[in-house]
Amino acid sequence: MRRFLADADFRAGFAEMVPACLAMTPFGLVCGVGAAAAGATLWGALGLSAIVFSGAAQILAVQLLAAGAPLAVIVLTCFVAGLRFVIYSAAMAPYLRSLPPRWQQGLAFLLTDQAFAAAIRRFHGGADPRAGGLHFLGGGFALWLFWQATNVAGYFVGNLIPAQWSLEFAVPLCFIALLAPHFRTMPTIAAALVAGVLVLALAGLPMKLNLIVAGVIGILAGTLADFARERWTPR
Amino acid sequence: MDATLKLWSVVAIVGALNYVSRLSFIALFAQRHVPPLLVRAFRYVPAAMLTALVLPMVVAAPGEPALAAMPKIVAALAAGVVAFFTHSTMKTLGVGMLSLWLLQALAGRIG
Repeated sequence: MRRFLADADFRAGFAEMVPACLAMTPFGLVCGVGAAAAGATLWGALGLSAIVFSGAAQILAVQLLAAGAPLAVIVLTCFVAGLRFVIYSAAMAPYLRSLPPRWQQGLAFLLTDQAFAAAIRRFHGGADPRAGGLHFLGGGFALWLFWQATNVAGYFVGNLIPAQWSLEFAVPLCFIALLAPHFRTMPTIAAALVAGVLVLALAGLPMKLNLIVAGVIGILAGTLADFARERWTPR
Repeated sequence: MDATLKLWSVVAIVGALNYVSRLSFIALFAQRHVPPLLVRAFRYVPAAMLTALVLPMVVAAPGEPALAAMPKIVAALAAGVVAFFTHSTMKTLGVGMLSLWLLQALAGRIG
């Protein structure tokens, strides 16, 4: 542990993730409030945030628990909502190949929307695997730490925050900060456009399936647009 | 089923499934060659997945009047412009939240 704390890449990863951590605070609070409302003990709430470590899955889990849904339904719903991690895993894989298996297994646990978006930007920028891995570890650790703190805070005092502040809006803003800088090429815009239209059009699907379906077809659209651009670009 | 046992079952099973999802291709591609077509497709993962995550949080939920979501949509667009040019999470957050508060106050005055 001390070895990591002294490492420059780890520390940079940690420090650069702090703004995103702060932005995720309302999301963590909401998850803590939900766990308390579902009748979870403090340890149960912490178990969810520390082990499941995914806001979307936690919200779904506590809502379904509170509604008295069967265990199988809760598990299946959370699993489907977490399928996007499979895509993140695939996209990260080429950059983590040269790291030892133990590193891969450790970093995989910290693979969240935030950590993925930050890491992939860094790897696309040409970071070497070791430095990029340590940077990812620092950022992922920061997110995990803040996530526990905000979930516990939400569990105790989350419902004291006035709804008029619309603090939950910080969550999409946080993702917009990661997303908008991508809109520089035609295929990325095509990918986002197709995914955006589909996620809204398919909002009626159960278990948040619209997210993964829209995401996969959006990625396909981006890839096709990439081939089309290559074909029609004069050489 | 006892409520505490049920919650911990959810923690254990969903935690395990989430971890398997996260590790899946990192472990699978560790020993294998990644097909170039996939590498190309992976470039579009952030744009497609983040858009699919963000949009439902910004636009009106089904049943909600479309006008009620206008402050959020405009604030999100303003934040997007700031993010595009600055790459800064803090500036994006600041502009987005301030725009939302301002627009909600205006909407309250008009409506």
